[in-house]
Amino acid sequence: MQRCGCFVTSRELLAVCLVGLPLATTVLLLVVPRRFAWAIALGAAGPTSALAVTLGALVLRRPGAPSVGDWFVADAAGALLVVVVGVVGLASVLVSPSYLVSSYSSLVAPERRDKTYYATLYIFWAVLLAVPLAGNLGLAWLLVEATTAASALLVGFSGGSRALEAGWKYLILTSLGLGVALLGIVVLAAGVPGGGIGALSWRALGSYASGHDRALVAYLLVLAGLAAKIGWAPVHNWLPDAHSEAPPPVSAMLSAALLPAVLLVAWRSEHSLAPVVGAHTAETVLVSFGLVSLAVAVPFLWRSLPWKRLLAYSSLEHMGVIAIGIGFATPLALAGVGVHIAAHAVAKALGFYAATPLIGHDERASHEPVAGIARTRPALGATMGVSLGALAGLPPSPLFVSEVLIIAGGFQAGRPWAAAATALLLALGFLGLMHALLETTTGDAPSRGRRAPGLRGVVVLAGVSVAVLLALTAAAAMLPGSDIVDALLRGTS
Amino acid sequence: MSGTLAWALVALGLAVVVIRRRSLAVALVTAQALVLVGYALYQASTSQDFVAAGALCIRALVLATVFLLLVSRTRETRPVRARIAPLTRGGIAIASALVLTWLVPAIGLTSRDAERAVLALVAFGCTAVATRRATLFQVLGIVLVENGLALAALELPGGASLTVELGVALDLMLIAVVASVFHERIFAEFGAGDSAALRVLRD
Repeated sequence: MQRCGCFVTSRELLAVCLVGLPLATTVLLLVVPRRFAWAIALGAAGPTSALAVTLGALVLRRPGAPSVGDWFVADAAGALLVVVVGVVGLASVLVSPSYLVSSYSSLVAPERRDKTYYATLYIFWAVLLAVPLAGNLGLAWLLVEATTAASALLVGFSGGSRALEAGWKYLILTSLGLGVALLGIVVLAAGVPGGGIGALSWRALGSYASGHDRALVAYLLVLAGLAAKIGWAPVHNWLPDAHSEAPPPVSAMLSAALLPAVLLVAWRSEHSLAPVVGAHTAETVLVSFGLVSLAVAVPFLWRSLPWKRLLAYSSLEHMGVIAIGIGFATPLALAGVGVHIAAHAVAKALGFYAATPLIGHDERASHEPVAGIARTRPALGATMGVSLGALAGLPPSPLFVSEVLIIAGGFQAGRPWAAAATALLLALGFLGLMHALLETTTGDAPSRGRRAPGLRGVVVLAGVSVAVLLALTAAAAMLPGSDIVDALLRGTS
Repeated sequence: MSGTLAWALVALGLAVVVIRRRSLAVALVTAQALVLVGYALYQASTSQDFVAAGALCIRALVLATVFLLLVSRTRETRPVRARIAPLTRGGIAIASALVLTWLVPAIGLTSRDAERAVLALVAFGCTAVATRRATLFQVLGIVLVENGLALAALELPGGASLTVELGVALDLMLIAVVASVFHERIFAEFGAGDSAALRVLRD
């Protein structure tokens, strides 16, 4: 279709609607009386999620024909992330009322609490949906930085001293990290012919003409800066605090949607700069970040931790696995990456959603390890078991299949030591999480506890999640060799 | 860019790392940003350049207003003392700047002095965040980094993208506003804007 002398494709139009709808909802939430806040938030969540799934399906139906421009990109990896962000956002909106009902304190006055929460959540969601569609590194950086402002408010939303600490650390450390990434972008901008925003487009970055060393420094700065936002070790300090202190629906969005969305920016930077810095070097940096993250996460998975902190360290582990898979860059590894991103999102979001009824059931669960939940609340215990079992990679979890694919991809890439180290660390992580799973669900329950608010909704989500996880396991077997994997290999080129 | 101007910006940045008074630090960071605005206007030749300089000016004034308002609303009975003495902080900042200049090869900006100043300001900002306990100084550390990057944008051979410059200015203002909300709440909760109070969450 043609508008105002310029061509607008259906994908671009969908993308504009996809980001515009949650932004418009934010404005609406700010102006209407608070009693309508929930209805408006719920009313807009379905269409927003549907738009995300439609755009993702449109792109994934023809993965070999990405839309690539200076501003906008819709490729297979971006489509996958848009669907993930869309679905996790919908689920987070759906479970938010039970969080708001069961919590009392907040950063803002009580009469403005619900409206502010939903408005900030929608801004965060809108920006997050735009990140995978950003056609250039500059715009992607701006959007990632914008997610910091919105999500920091949400992390500290409860206003308690622990939430303030978590929110402050998150704000300062990720802003500083993104400052370092921006320095890398400046170095790149100085060496790409043409200037302007077009010089930072994913395709143009490959034409960097100021030498290998300078490009390598820029690449390292960009990745080190983004690592602070992705939560890769050793710049992950904010991650366990923010994930554990944020409201559970927000923790789910941080872990299942934000981290992989920023990781996509790192992936695209690697893909675009590989011709200049050398593919092997570029991939080695990612594999190194991945292995260090895994090595740092595993000891914490063996410790007895509060539920949400355990899930946070599991995020560190899984972002490491995804980085390793991208670094291996073989068809098998990238098939694993695709499945891993989707399955991690489903399992991790479910785990965080279970935190609201869990904390309602036993207040100590917010800051102490829990045990024997399946004895006192069988449905809640089962939900937590599904989440943790899937995250551990317990067959038939799709994460088991994706991890096998990634390790096999490492051998295929001629990196046997890295693949073996990954396998060893994943095995250790598996044992740690299985111990936590057994202790959390079937250990000695100290008391009967109270009722679990919002449990019914979470159990419904658990049923849906099991179906999606099994479907992903089936899809994982068919993914290697498919057009989607070819498209992931080619990236935006 | 002349060497004198570049080193004036660096000196203002170093002062932020060592001084104790919050209001003075805000004034120094604002002065630094306004020097950059002046330089941007001096260099401006197209309408886009003037818009970018205007955005930088608005950013400087908005941040100054927000931070000064914050200082007046959260009066400290006594300044939050950093654990590291001012001279040591200054030494760490200078050492970090030298290491960064040594590690990072020529960036490709139009002036070598500007390149060194950019790296020094980034190092000073990181040092301020790492060594200052006062929450406001930690935010000012981030602003120092962003001022350094604004200087880099001015010295890019082909000029920076206006969209990115405007976006960076907007993002920084948003971050500053959110940081202000946190600072006020931290002050209300702990009686001081002291990040040392924020050390409960550990494993």
